[in-house]
This record gives sequence, structure tokens and C-alpha cells, in this order.
Amino acid sequence: MTMPNFSYVRPKSLKEALQQLSSKGARIHAGGTDLLGCLHDDVFQVKKVVSLSHLDELRGVRQTKDGGLRIGALTPLVEVVNSEPIKEHYPALAQAASEVASPQLRNQGTLGGNICQKPRCWYYRGEFHCLRKGGSKCFAENGENHYHCIFGSGHVCYIVHPSDTAPALMAHEASVRIAGPKGTKLVPLEAFYVLPSSNVEKETTLEPNEILTEILLPPPPKSGLRSGYRKVRARNSWDFALAGVAFALQFKADRIEKARVVLSGAAPIPWRSKPVEDALVAKRLNAGTVERASEAVVKNAEPLEHNGYKIPLFRGLLEEELTRIATTFGT
Amino acid sequence: MGKKKDERDRSRQGVTRRGFLQLMGASAVASTAARGTAAETPAEVLEPAEMTRIALRINGRRHRVVVEPRWSLLFVLREKLGLTGTKVGCERGECGACTVLVDGQPRYACLTLAVEAEGKEITTLEGLMKGEELGPVQQAFLEHDAFQCGYCTPGQIMAVEGLLRHNPDPSADEIRKGVSGNLCRCGTYEHIFKAARRAVELRNTKGGA
Amino acid sequence: MTDERGRPYYVQNIPVPETPRPRQNPAAWKKTDVVGKRLPRVDAYERLSGSAVYPSDTSLPDMLYGAILRCPHANAKVLSVDARDAERMPGVRAVIMQNTPGANVEWSYGRGYKTKLFDPHCRHEGEEVAAVAAETPYQAWDAAKAIKVKYETLPFLSDEQEALEPGAPAVHESGNRSGDVQVYQRGNIERGFADADVVLEQNYRTESELHTPMELHGCVAKWDGNRLTVWESTQGVYAVQARIAEVLSLPMANVRVIGHYMGGGFGSKLQAGKYTIIAALLAKMTARPVKLFLTREETYLCVGNRPPTNMKLKAGVKKDGTLTALELTVLGSGGAYPAGGASGVDWVVRDLYTCPNVRTSLTDVYTNAGPARACRAPGHPQGAWALEQMMDALAESIHMDPVELRLKNIPTYSQAREGNPPYTTTGLRECLEEGAKVFGWEESRKRTADANVADRLGHIRRGVGMASAMWAAGGGGPPSTVIVKLFSDGSVNLNMGASDIGTGTKTVMAMVVSEELGVPLDKIQIEHADTGTTQFATPSGGSKTVPTESPAVRAAVLEVKKQLFELASKDLKADATDLDVKGDEVIMKSDPSKKIKIGNLSDFRRRGVILGVGYRGPNPDKKVVNPFAAQFCEVEVNTRTGEVKLLRFVATNDSGRVMNRLTYDNQVFGGITWGIGLAMTEARLLDKTQTGKMVNRNWHDYKIPTALDMPMKIESHPVDLDDTEANTTGAKGLGEPVTIPTAAAIANAVYNAIKIRITSTPINPMTLSRLISRSRKEG
Repeated sequence: MTMPNFSYVRPKSLKEALQQLSSKGARIHAGGTDLLGCLHDDVFQVKKVVSLSHLDELRGVRQTKDGGLRIGALTPLVEVVNSEPIKEHYPALAQAASEVASPQLRNQGTLGGNICQKPRCWYYRGEFHCLRKGGSKCFAENGENHYHCIFGSGHVCYIVHPSDTAPALMAHEASVRIAGPKGTKLVPLEAFYVLPSSNVEKETTLEPNEILTEILLPPPPKSGLRSGYRKVRARNSWDFALAGVAFALQFKADRIEKARVVLSGAAPIPWRSKPVEDALVAKRLNAGTVERASEAVVKNAEPLEHNGYKIPLFRGLLEEELTRIATTFGT
Repeated sequence: MGKKKDERDRSRQGVTRRGFLQLMGASAVASTAARGTAAETPAEVLEPAEMTRIALRINGRRHRVVVEPRWSLLFVLREKLGLTGTKVGCERGECGACTVLVDGQPRYACLTLAVEAEGKEITTLEGLMKGEELGPVQQAFLEHDAFQCGYCTPGQIMAVEGLLRHNPDPSADEIRKGVSGNLCRCGTYEHIFKAARRAVELRNTKGGA
Repeated sequence: MTDERGRPYYVQNIPVPETPRPRQNPAAWKKTDVVGKRLPRVDAYERLSGSAVYPSDTSLPDMLYGAILRCPHANAKVLSVDARDAERMPGVRAVIMQNTPGANVEWSYGRGYKTKLFDPHCRHEGEEVAAVAAETPYQAWDAAKAIKVKYETLPFLSDEQEALEPGAPAVHESGNRSGDVQVYQRGNIERGFADADVVLEQNYRTESELHTPMELHGCVAKWDGNRLTVWESTQGVYAVQARIAEVLSLPMANVRVIGHYMGGGFGSKLQAGKYTIIAALLAKMTARPVKLFLTREETYLCVGNRPPTNMKLKAGVKKDGTLTALELTVLGSGGAYPAGGASGVDWVVRDLYTCPNVRTSLTDVYTNAGPARACRAPGHPQGAWALEQMMDALAESIHMDPVELRLKNIPTYSQAREGNPPYTTTGLRECLEEGAKVFGWEESRKRTADANVADRLGHIRRGVGMASAMWAAGGGGPPSTVIVKLFSDGSVNLNMGASDIGTGTKTVMAMVVSEELGVPLDKIQIEHADTGTTQFATPSGGSKTVPTESPAVRAAVLEVKKQLFELASKDLKADATDLDVKGDEVIMKSDPSKKIKIGNLSDFRRRGVILGVGYRGPNPDKKVVNPFAAQFCEVEVNTRTGEVKLLRFVATNDSGRVMNRLTYDNQVFGGITWGIGLAMTEARLLDKTQTGKMVNRNWHDYKIPTALDMPMKIESHPVDLDDTEANTTGAKGLGEPVTIPTAAAIANAVYNAIKIRITSTPINPMTLSRLISRSRKEG
């Protein structure tokens, strides 16, 4: 019941929604699951909730002219899970979406919302006026940092990005379309996220008066793509990743031609692991490659007092996933 | 936080004059007509301190309620409509006690604003009854003792009902996953799995839900 | 009329039909028609249809909603409370705080420690500072947040392991010791270790657990003049009534507490809460009913927990498996007030296995955290976590099978109680043997060991483990009063005080009535858990409800039968011993053609109903009634990620007579679920070094097991030993023994799989991945 008061509007067009968002203190209600959670926890204040639930044009999975896929930002996660083209051509995304939260939250939560969700750091969500909320201190740095990051903190803020779908989308080279008062722009997902050292109060480049309208996936390769998402967590439902990996490996014959490996539960943004990709590209996926790549995933990692387990955990996770691909691919 | 006196008086009266106009049908937000078409009268902004009348379709019946924008569907169901079959556990989508069906899909009523539920078919535990008789999922729960304190049970039943509407013959794995968004502190899961299996049979013999 | 000695009739011992008389123990049932069967619950319809009104469902006309403002600091003094803005906010009807007339009442903790309802010194995050009543809960919370409080924050202590160090912040002026160190010893501990062939010593730790029942804590309070009615989610309406009467100085007769259905307690609802009193005060002030239920976040802070427990266990064993010495040192914290921070942890060490030399010492310290409350088998899962892992380690050291080691040390009497009273029954041996057989213990050990050695599953390792347990109570006992009322058509009203907290109490008691009277379950009306209209019972908890109430119910029914047969013997001209009752008729056993409808009995109309009062008599003298248990499990450990998958569980229990097999098994599975939580997912975490606040204050971060965390397969195999001495129904408690061995069984299975012993909870990828990687480096 700790829900502050707000005004509410349900615009009938994207244009109207953008207009409504131009007032100060207005925020988007997509599925509403993270918005209401944040309001419940007083993470931020909101004067006006702008519900997108009437904007059907923002929903749905459609093929694009170039053979890629266009997913409306308001598409519920359950539709992403069940979409045949996504399951077939972008399996990491289908797998990632299927492990988000719980069935009820996958029915209600949207893909756009999942990408843009707020961090789960318990200081951020708790009664602590931390840096990310405009305060002067990061409580995780010297506190209970069991679930915090090993990369990318900039020694400023130690959240991990909670999304499962974002790493999978990044592995599949997704872009996002952002609508604003001046028109729309297409942004590669990798450029959508913001490191704490750039701006500790934002996780994405999205401005308060902008709306993420759709996610675009490039056409899939004809053959040789191995992709997937796996996360390790304490419980088998609801839980965010202790460590997760999304990968898209493009094989040519038995060599890896292109590799994209993106980690969840590791950094304030979905974390592309260049060291792992470098260890994989142009190689055969044999035991030696697997070992080198698994070691590479924790290269330059900076564990905190309580999250050192992520080092062996990420290593083990990579080892398991890469071995699984190697075995099924017959290398 | 202080308010001007006349604003305060108005809010104490409940439905404001503006809300009254909405009652008379003037381009009510409750209407779900004209979705997505441009160049229309823009949507009405519901002000926080004003009460707004909305129409909710619950268990096949239409209810008119006067709500604040921030009121959850859960609050309206329980405290305004007396439908206390749906339970409150955490109000943050972390337990499943408030699971209802929204257009046939299991969702948490605690994370659903009442105003967002307009235009949707809401089904609660009470809506699974056949008159005074238990529906097939409820009957299956009875046979397999799929409850202890009974407080998570309505949510579990709704989750199973929602699962079976989409997947009438789920595997054991799919059953587990289907109720993976519903906590049970008494630890009745094992019996719930059995009850879900039995519900499949009962739904078939009774000709579906 | 007075007798020749001039005494009035009511002291002359003239029996009137409803006067309770001392009962003679009827023999336990040999064969049963109802008791022991798999029967659905008598209130299944209400719970499944949504028609059951739980306390949090209660809605009264003109009702207000309450919200409590709590101290956000781990240790602070309240300097001032300014509610002027809050009072003027929309919908607000009352705000109370410490200096509100009537609100400055006393609130006591254990050992009579007294504070105030809104105490100016808040010693843990979540202590009550003020409260609001408003037209909607939203408005109540708006107002609560608008109350301006000035605090003086003080140094705080979060880690009980630092409580006795020099320089530790003092939780109380008297220091951080909560009570005296409790020491127990028997025999000669030094000689015991000297006699041993192997001596092992190990530290263990279990994290603090929170009860988190599904239904929130709270109540609805309503006054009618100076009579108060409270609908509360509670395990014991009489306990709540007593506390309200004491705190608000009311006659008990003016306090009525109703708690028909309730959504779980597990020990956290054995007593009234401050919210009970606050709701009553708000209701009085506004002259309207007030509904005050806590938010989930609040319940993590102030309605109890299982204490964090640090243990050191030293054990000595001979090569032939004889235990020679057990020494346990415990440090726990009951939080900020006296609350039993180490209670019960040593019981299994004292009494589960035969051991002549035992020494235990329990130290309870204060911390600035929420006070503990009894939590499903207080102390025992923690003690078992240590003892059962140690037994495994001892077995390994002397090359003995773990089950065999336990079988070698089974006592038939209580070693820890004065006079060494024997158990009426002890089924520990049967639990172990039956469990091992059903589980396939020996074959499984060999199979998993072979598979691991041969690397057959790659980086996956399998292991099996077991643990046994006993529960120090579980025999039940007085007081309890039950009234059974027989209507003229043979249907029955059963009136008892006990709450049904989900264990199936109502169903079991109805089955007892049905067994004796032959009346079907759906013709039994049950009134319960209402201090205004139902008989006295102690709170439902401690695994004592079935053994306490079922004999009392049986006694009441037998009293009814006695009177019924007295009436019928006149009409049928038969001996009372030749009569039987079936449904709505009394029948002559030797000539079934001679029968009469209850309603037609000539003396029945004079009475209207036949009333039987049953009392719970005392337990057998110089004997102990305790339940025993053993659990076996198989796990799979992913040595790359540290993920543990629970493959299967077999649970055996000696809890005396199985009263209802369906609800019995459900309890077993529920207890295992709790144990999985302790072993693998649950831990309350405090921001120890910065603020002392609880960091995982939500139901995602405080993790309880979900459907996907359950074992793939679980089985319950009761061991029914026909205990004819314990009480007249032969039942022992079940709700707690089912969760005592679980965590240790899992830890032992994990050890069996990867040869790494996890001595601190929880076992999860965070702890395991690090340990596995470390052992790889060293190995």
C-alpha cells in the first residue's frame, strides 16, 4: 500500500504519449511491473504515469524487409518466448525471455520494459539515499556487495544490470528505435547503455521525454549459428542472475568466424566480453579453446569483498556452455 | 504536502464535479473505443486526488467502481468489491498470492493498476465456481489436499487454471513451471503438482472449463 | 437445597449431566474406520471456493485502515515526533504516538523485560514510533510518511559474533549478554574424549531465517462500548486475548479474539503483536473499526525470526561406533530483546544418541535486530545441522556406514531428563531401517560413488546423504477443553479452542468424532478459535496440537456416548455395554433389530442436546512422548557452477498414529520444503558495517523455495508403532520433526558428491563455486 499518488493518462497515439511525457515528473507505464515496484520502494517520484497500453502499434513480432525481426517494445515477454521466428533464429533471446522472473510477470512485463528496468541493488531499492538516486554515497562499495558487479563499476557504482533479454539481444546485434520530440533514431543496443562513470544516475541513454518503441534484430545467418542464454541463480524461479551468459557464435565449417558473448550479473550494463570473443574467434571449439575462453571471461575482473564467487562461477559457466556447444556441434 | 482548503474539501467529498461529468459519459477514459486512431480528443488525465469512475468486468459481471489512479486491482477486488478470494502477500509481484486471470492469462493483481484493468476480462477464484460447486481445478485441489493454510491456494489455483487454458495437457515440467510464480510457505508444492495433473482429467471429463 | 451438613448443593458433588468427571484412559483404537484414512479436509470447500474469511479478508462497515511508522535505524532514540501535517492529510482520522493519552502502555518481552508500546529508545530497525488510521490504506501510508521524526542515531551492533568483544556497541545498558550462559553436562567430558579412538571438532553456522507465512501479520479491531473484538491472524486466540487484557487493563471477558482461518504462522503468530494493541487504540480513538495488517517488508523486521546460530561441536567415537563424548558450544542472538537466541539448539546433542559424556553451553547475546520468535522446531534444525554432519564425519573416520553409526547409538530413554525416563515409543531405529530400505541406501551409495569415480556424468557429481532427528516436545498435554454436542438427528457440533494453522486440525478432530460416533464428516459442525464462544486451548504450535486436542476430543465424545447409552439402555432395555451408535440411531449389538433413533429417546427431549465435555488429562507419569524422524536424499552437484539439484527425498517419521494420511504426508513435504530453505536459499542479511539495516527486505532477496526448487521426487513413509501409552489416540506431534533433519541430509549428500563439507548455510552456487574451485587448486 505504500504507493504515492500520481495522475494517470492513457494516450491513444504515440504522438500524444510523447506530448504527455514532456511534462516534468512523467514516466512510462509499459507492463507496469518495474514501475510499480519502484514506486512502492520510493526509488523515484512520479507525478504522472503515462500508460502505453493503448498503443497497439508498439506490440508484436514482425519480419522486416531485410529478413530481420522487429519486436514492438510493448510485446509481452511471453510472446517473445512463444514466437516461432525468435525461437528458430534468435534462440538466445527466446531462452533468456523464458527465464525472466515468473510466468505471471512474463505475461505482464514487456521486452522494452525488461531492457529498461531499474537495478535491483538492495541499497538502491532500499531506504538508502545512494549515488544513483542523487545521494552522495555508494553503500555497496564497502557493504553487503554479494550481488554486485565485477566489471565496469568505474569505482563509482557497483550495480549489475538485471536484464536477461538485453545480453541476448546484444549477442544478436540488436538495435533499438527511440522516439522523441524531435523524431526517431536507431541506436545499437550496445550504445544504449550507460556506464556509471559516464552518468551514475542513468542506466540507459533514454531521456525522460523519449519512448523506446521497437527492438530490431538483423537478419539471421543462413547456417552455422549457435546461440543461447544460460543463467545461474540461487533459486530456480524469479531470481536474477548470479552469473549469466548470452552467446552467439557464428561457425564456418568447424571454426568460429564471429563471436559475441555478453554477460549478465557481471556489470552495470550488459557486458560484452571481448577477451572471451578474442579467445574464440578463428578457433576450433576444442578443449583448449574452451579452457582459454573460460579463463578469459574473468580477465581484469575486480571482485568485491563478498562477490568473489563470481570469478569461479563465470569461469565454470563459460566452461559448461562452451563445452555443451562443442559437444552438440560435434567438434 | 499542504493543500489549498477548497481542494481538500473537494477531495473529501469523494467524487468531484469533474468526476461527475465523467459519470455522465463525457469521453470517459473507461471507454476503450477508438484505439490508436489519430486526431481525436486526447485522453483524459486522471488527477491523483480525484476519484474516477471506471468499469471493471470481473467474473463476467460489470462492476462500476470509483478509484484513485494509484489503486491496485488487488485493493479494489478485496476492499471495494468484497472479492476476498484473491489474497494479498507482498504487493510487489514476488509471491503470487494475488494471481488472477486477465484475459485468460495469469497476472499479479498487486502490480496491476485498477485503471489499467479496464476493458479486460478479469477472472478471480470466485469466478471458477459453478454456482455453489467447485470447478474442476478446485475439485482437484480438494482431492489431493493441495493446500495447508490455504492462503497461497487461490493464486495457485488461478495459475493452474491459466496454464490449463493455454496448455490443456501439460507435462510434469510444464506444471512445475506453471506454478513457479506462486510461493507456498507451507510447502504444499508436491500435492499441487498432483492436483494439477488431476485437474487435467477433471477438465476433460467435465468438458473443459 | 442443603445437605445434613448444611453445605449448598453445588459443593455436594451431585453429578449433573454436563458435569465433567475424571476420565479413565480409554484404550487406543486397534482398528479404525475413519482415523488414519486419506480424507479430504472438512473445510476444503471454504478454502478452495474463496468463501473462507481469513482475518485479513475481514471487512466491517465504516472500517478504517491502519499504518505504523517505524524507526528506520538499527539503534536510535526518538527525540521528537511531529504529526501536525500528517493529521491534516486527506482521509486521516487519527494519529497516535508515545504521548497520546492511552497509548503509553507497557509492552514486555521475555524475562519480563518491559518497554513501551512506542518506546523512545528503538533498539532495532522497525520498532514502532507512531501509527495512523485513515479511510484507505493508501492515505494511511501517505500520512505515516508525512510524520516528521527526529532521531538521535546510536552506535549499533549487527554481528552477534562481535557482541562480547571489548568495545562492541552496547545494545542495552547492562551489556550484550542476554541472560546467563546455559550449561548442561553429564558424565565426564574429558574422560569421554580420552576414551575415544577418534576425536573431531568443527565449527558450524546457520543463518537467521524469517518465518514469512503467506498471510501477513495483523488484525481488525472493533469496540462496542468497552468491549473489544479482534479478528487476528494468529496461532492462539487465547494467548492474544490474555495479552490484550494485560496491556490494556481490560477484563478478559471484555476481550474477544477470533481467528478462524489463518494463513500460516510457523511460530511467529503464537502471541499478540504490538499491531494488535495499536489497532485497538486507533479503533478506540476513532470509534470505528480499524484494519491493521503489516506490509510484507515490515514483517521481516519485527515479528520474529530463527536466530543466527554459531556452533562448535567436538565429538569422540570409538572404532566400533560407540559415541564417547559430545561437546557443543553455541552462540546465538535473539535480537534486541530477551527472546531465546540459543534456545533448543543443544537438545539433539543431549538426547538423540546414546552418549554418556555430554557438555553443552548456550550463550545468547543481544544485537540491534528484530527479536527472535519460536520458529518451526526452535533450535533443532540448527543443532541437527551440526550434529548430523558431525555424525557423518565420524562415520567416515572409522569407515562405518553413516546409518549404521546411528543405529549403534539409539537410546530407549531420555538421557537429558532427570531420572532418565523412558520413551513411550521410540521409532528412530525403525525410521532409519525403513528409510534406508525404501531409499535403497546401500545400493545408492555404491551407485553414486561408482558413477563419480568413473566420471560417468562428466562434471556432474551425485551423492546421497541422510540425517535423523528427534523433537524435544511433541507429546502435547493439558490444558485443553473440548465440548461435543449431539443433536437429535445424530449430527454433531464440535467446539474447541485450537486454531487450525494449516496442519488440518479441524479435520483430524472431526475424524476422531466420526470414529467414535459413526457420524460422517459432513455432518459435523466445527466451532473453533474464538475466545468468546469456544473452549480453551493453548496456541497451535510446538507440534502439540494433535496429541493435545485429539484425546480431549475423544474424551468429550466418549462422555456423549456414555450419556447416550445411559438413556438408550432404558428405552431398549439393554445393557449400556451392548449398545453402539451409528449415525442417528442407537443399536443393540447383540440384536441389531432393536434400535432407536436418538431423537426418540425418551429423556432426550428434556435435554435438547447431549453435551460431552472432554479435558486433556495428564501425560503418562515418568515417561516421555517424543517424535523421531529420518530423511534420506540424493543430490546432483554441478562442479562447474556449484548448482545443486535435489533428485529425491525419502522421509520416515515416528509420530505415533497417522491420523489422516493425506494431511500427514502434506506436513512431511512441507517440512522438507522448509529444510530446503534453511539449507539452500534463506538468510536474513544485515548491512553490518554501515547502517545495521536489513538489506534483503523483500521476497525476492529473502529467498524461500519455489516450486522449481523442490526435489524431483519425494516420498513419505510413516512408521506407525502403535503407542498405547502416550495418550488415548496414540498420536505424537508431526509438524516440527519433519523439518529438523532436512538441511543436514542435504549437506551430507553434497559432501558425499564432492567431498567438500559445507558447514555454513546456505548451500548455493555462491558458496559452492568458490569452495569447489579452491579445492581444485589444492587438489
